[in-house]
Amino acid sequence: MTVQDVKPTRSELIELKRKIKLSESGHKLLKMKRDGLILEFFEILKKAKTVRAELDEQFISSMEKINVAKSVEGIVTVKSTAFSFKDTPRLEVESKNVMGVVVPKIESSSIKKDINERGYGIIGTSSRIDEAAEAYENLVDKIILAAEIETTIKKLLDDIEKTKRRVNALEFKVIPELSEARDFIILRLDEMERENTFRLKRIKA
Amino acid sequence: MAFFIKRGSKKYPYITARVRAMKSKLMPREVYPKLMNMDIAEITRFIEESEYKENVDELAQQYNDIDLFEHALNQNLARTYRKLQRISRDEPNYLITEYLRHWDIWNIKTILRGKNYGADLEEILDTVVAAGQLGYRQLTEIAGMNSIEDIKAALDLTPYYPVIEDYDGAMLSDVENNLDKLYYSRLLASLGSTKAEKLSLKFIRTEIDIKNLKTLFRTKKADLDKTIIFELLIPGGIEIKTADLNKLASLQWSDFLKALEDYSYWSELSDVVSAEMDSLKDMEAVLDKYALAFASKISHYYPLSILPIFDYMLNKELEVRNIRTIVRGKEAQLADETIRKQLVI
Repeated sequence: MTVQDVKPTRSELIELKRKIKLSESGHKLLKMKRDGLILEFFEILKKAKTVRAELDEQFISSMEKINVAKSVEGIVTVKSTAFSFKDTPRLEVESKNVMGVVVPKIESSSIKKDINERGYGIIGTSSRIDEAAEAYENLVDKIILAAEIETTIKKLLDDIEKTKRRVNALEFKVIPELSEARDFIILRLDEMERENTFRLKRIKA
Repeated sequence: MAFFIKRGSKKYPYITARVRAMKSKLMPREVYPKLMNMDIAEITRFIEESEYKENVDELAQQYNDIDLFEHALNQNLARTYRKLQRISRDEPNYLITEYLRHWDIWNIKTILRGKNYGADLEEILDTVVAAGQLGYRQLTEIAGMNSIEDIKAALDLTPYYPVIEDYDGAMLSDVENNLDKLYYSRLLASLGSTKAEKLSLKFIRTEIDIKNLKTLFRTKKADLDKTIIFELLIPGGIEIKTADLNKLASLQWSDFLKALEDYSYWSELSDVVSAEMDSLKDMEAVLDKYALAFASKISHYYPLSILPIFDYMLNKELEVRNIRTIVRGKEAQLADETIRKQLVI
């Protein structure tokens, strides 16, 4: 909105003042939201770092366990035993609200099982298979947790960026332009008043 | 069936002489430390110049890299066992067949697991080791069947049928456990009362003790209910009798470890077992070493009996396992100490 487009009327001035007030309170609120989101982001970032470190650790441990199982029992045994796992993990994705940002909440089931519920017979298998299976169950659990946290971080970042852009737009574009238009109307109205006074004086004279 | 088998030591001189010759071709224990110091390329060359060359050459078009060695080792093992069945007659043949039934059981389990999972024929056959009575052709036919009912019908003349008869696709683990129990009960029933057979029985019953100990450790660590644990134990152990199994199954983890001190196996286990132990793999390796040492010790008592043959079969299986452990372990860059602890020599 350029100054030239503005109609220098009182009603326009009232409307502009109302808009400025609204923009300023919106700006204040959005700034508070941005700061809140940043605080929340750093909180979750800490959690994400911990979960990522645990995930890396779990991955290394799972790899070692499956490698021990593959080495001692053989790939043939590992593959055959893997055939007995029929159940696939079930995931339910719900959503929760963090300061107006909708983030996922992943609920999982059928991941961790007792050794007698995994589908293979215990007598004919070994602890190396149990340990590899358990390590991978834990790994899947950690992956799901990491996915939930990292998606939350991504969504928060997107929203922080969006809010920052809105705050900047209000602070550096909308409010200055509205203020400029308001100043222009005030200036024009004052000028019109002066012109009126001058015209009246000329008529009287 | 045991009643129709001609018994007696007259049947053993030929087969035990052949087994002695076959045993001399096994890798001596000094080879394993040397293999541990080699890299993958050197081990590859070593295997290609060994007994396994023919199998490696034969499977070279089908598999690559380490998978090639593993399948070559398995093929060699299967052929060795089938050769033993081929060159033996009467009682030794019967006992060898009974001992090797665990491979049939393994293959039946693999086929049922594959069908349960929906794996294709090629995938199932990849995991089959035709080292038992059921040959590769027969196993291919069974694995190619579409329904569980057809598989059951194909096995109706085998000793495994009573166990799989009621299997309807659910609770495969129960079928697997019952097949393993059937294996040991048949093995125990197959041995007679001569001195050599009594000693063989001791060998099998020690194997049952070892199996039960491993099961107890795994189920106790997983904190399973005592009734579930007891169901998984095999009766017929030499030192750990049914009453002991019942008692051990009902104890808490720490009490269970303490109770094991009363058994001779504790001297083997004491170094690797503790209340805080994370992994059971070292415990299993120690028990496997014990079984191997026991088999070697008793195999010399009665040279013209099934004992040297059992000893050879165990040694051959462990040779395959040890080579595989070293090759796969090196490929996966496992620590030398981890690999060494898992070797059974």
